[in-house]
Amino acid sequence: MTNQAEHVIEVEHLTKRYGGLLAVDGISFSVRKGEVFAFLGPNGAGKTTTVEIIETIRTPTSGNVRLLGMDVTKKKHDIVPRIGVLPQGFSSFDRITVRETLQYYSRLFCHGKTDIDGLIDLVNLKDKTREQYQNLSGGLKQRLGIAIALVNDPEVVFLDEPTTGLDPAARREVWEVLQGLKNKGKTVFLTTHYMEEAEFLADMVAIISKGKIIATDSPAKLIEKNTNYLLLTLQSVDEKAFEIIRKMGFEPVLNDHKEIKTKVEHTDDVQKILGAITDAGVLYLGLDVRKPNLEEVFLKLTGEALHDGQVVGKGAE
Amino acid sequence: MNLRVVGANLCVKLLSVYREKTAMFFTIAFPIILILVFGTIFMSQDNVGFHLCVQDLDQTKSSVDSVKALELNGKFKITRVDPAVDATQYVRDNKVDLVLVIPEGLEKALTRRKSSKDFKASVTITYVYDPSSSSVSTKMDILNGVLAGINQEISGNPPFIRSAEKSILTRKYRFIEYFIPGIIAMSVMTLSLFGTVNLNTELRQKGIIRKLSTTPITRTDWILSNILYQFIIAIISTTAMLLVSYAVFNVNLHLDAWLLAFILLDVFAFVGIGMFLTRFVQEAQSAAAAANAISFPMMFLSGSFFPIELMPGFLQKIAKMLPLYYVNEGLRAAMVFEDNLAALKDAAVIGVFAAVVFILGVMATKWEESQ
Repeated sequence: MTNQAEHVIEVEHLTKRYGGLLAVDGISFSVRKGEVFAFLGPNGAGKTTTVEIIETIRTPTSGNVRLLGMDVTKKKHDIVPRIGVLPQGFSSFDRITVRETLQYYSRLFCHGKTDIDGLIDLVNLKDKTREQYQNLSGGLKQRLGIAIALVNDPEVVFLDEPTTGLDPAARREVWEVLQGLKNKGKTVFLTTHYMEEAEFLADMVAIISKGKIIATDSPAKLIEKNTNYLLLTLQSVDEKAFEIIRKMGFEPVLNDHKEIKTKVEHTDDVQKILGAITDAGVLYLGLDVRKPNLEEVFLKLTGEALHDGQVVGKGAE
Repeated sequence: MNLRVVGANLCVKLLSVYREKTAMFFTIAFPIILILVFGTIFMSQDNVGFHLCVQDLDQTKSSVDSVKALELNGKFKITRVDPAVDATQYVRDNKVDLVLVIPEGLEKALTRRKSSKDFKASVTITYVYDPSSSSVSTKMDILNGVLAGINQEISGNPPFIRSAEKSILTRKYRFIEYFIPGIIAMSVMTLSLFGTVNLNTELRQKGIIRKLSTTPITRTDWILSNILYQFIIAIISTTAMLLVSYAVFNVNLHLDAWLLAFILLDVFAFVGIGMFLTRFVQEAQSAAAAANAISFPMMFLSGSFFPIELMPGFLQKIAKMLPLYYVNEGLRAAMVFEDNLAALKDAAVIGVFAAVVFILGVMATKWEESQ
């Protein structure tokens, strides 16, 4: 299906069952060398199971998975030294310092020439090298985890939910580190349930839902293919505006923050709506017109909205 | 197997425990506390001396000499009871278990027996005692022995049957010396068993095992580093126990390579059981409970604290099926009785057990998470 020289990960008809539960349902995709590939989906969609099969931790029920041209079920010992992994919910030895932890993992890979200082610089932990793991904040722990995943200078880096549970500021800091990896030309396989993370970092995105891949493409193309509208948001308006927009033939949605959101096809529609509202003497405090993002794509493809990894019911599709 | 990897693992484990001062303290302190407490109790048993109340109603030189003779026997610490008080009431009021009453007329009767050869002249010494006391019958047996000796001496004939003592040991050992090998065996067992269970369940629950499974470390490297770590901890703990035993109780134990061999076999056996438990009992709390369920009966049944001969027959049979029994017996054979053949036999039994359990433990250890 793919060119092995170009593709470092090739997954064909991968299925994984846990007893009666079908966690991964015959998925196929491939990842090119040097790209950041985001595996996007809600909790329980099958992301971690898939990535752990590729990482050689789990065995598939059926299907073929090749990593760096090797069968993951047969070549674990050849594959492991060439990949780096940040597992989901990463943790390390509480009383071991940042530098000691990196030295420890470097020894496990027997990688004598690991540039520990370079890694510490890359993940911005220079002033924390003597800090024990237990004293690091969540964001710093994740950054250390990313550095650990790089001790063997891997060809492919797997990051399973690297920013889950972090506050927005810490998440941004991790993104900066991941941008650094991207700039170094590493192939990165990223699983996440944060749409903006995938959109911000990924060259390619595969959306997975209920064990099946429902779309694969670059974030821009996914948006382009699945949406042909603009999203207008009006802030702090009264319900009269809602009625006006509805009577104009649009399908507005009013949320708890007194925001009206509506899809429009052209910028002309925006002007028409604003004109009608102004003519009616209705005031609004804020206005936002933007292209849809992956959140809307996910909503369109699954009919479900996603919040913090959880499917939160039907959206306004 | 990769020694560099084993060394890295060992280093991380030792650094972790060194920095966790509380855990380190209790690792060393717990067996030492046991030795201090039990050692103090047993030390007083070695210098056993019964308390004996004597009421001398005769108040003559002969009666006073008799009381002194009892004192010099070494088994009794004598309290003299006023001849004016009622002995029965004295037992009740003073919560003593026995008063030996020397009757009036002891000297007269003795003179009649010795000088006039009046063989009908005799006296009756009365034991006024509290039958609810557990030690009173032992006291009366000892007193009967002493009185028989006195009677025999007064008769003027040399005894026909004499007794002589010959110990199978080259020297007499104290109870504390019997006790310390048992405590070493028990401590190494608990350190290895709980150390393995706690470490592995903690690392698994924290996801560190999952991370390690994405590195080149093998099952053998991991298990070997765990064994070495537990062995080093066991050596540190045993050294501390021996230092305290020598310093506080001035014990006389034979220390040679057998001690190291039995510690190593003890570690292998119980790390093996620990690995087995962690594989099949996933939750940390359940694993610790299972480890308790194994170690507690073993601790009390296998003769760590007292000789199994004190237990009923069926429990003795059970004891001989427990691995810790052979570590206890082997360590005592080596450290107390200096019996190499017995130590070798015990080492063979625990060695086979350790090998089987360890292989099962290795087979049970999995990197991949079964889900």
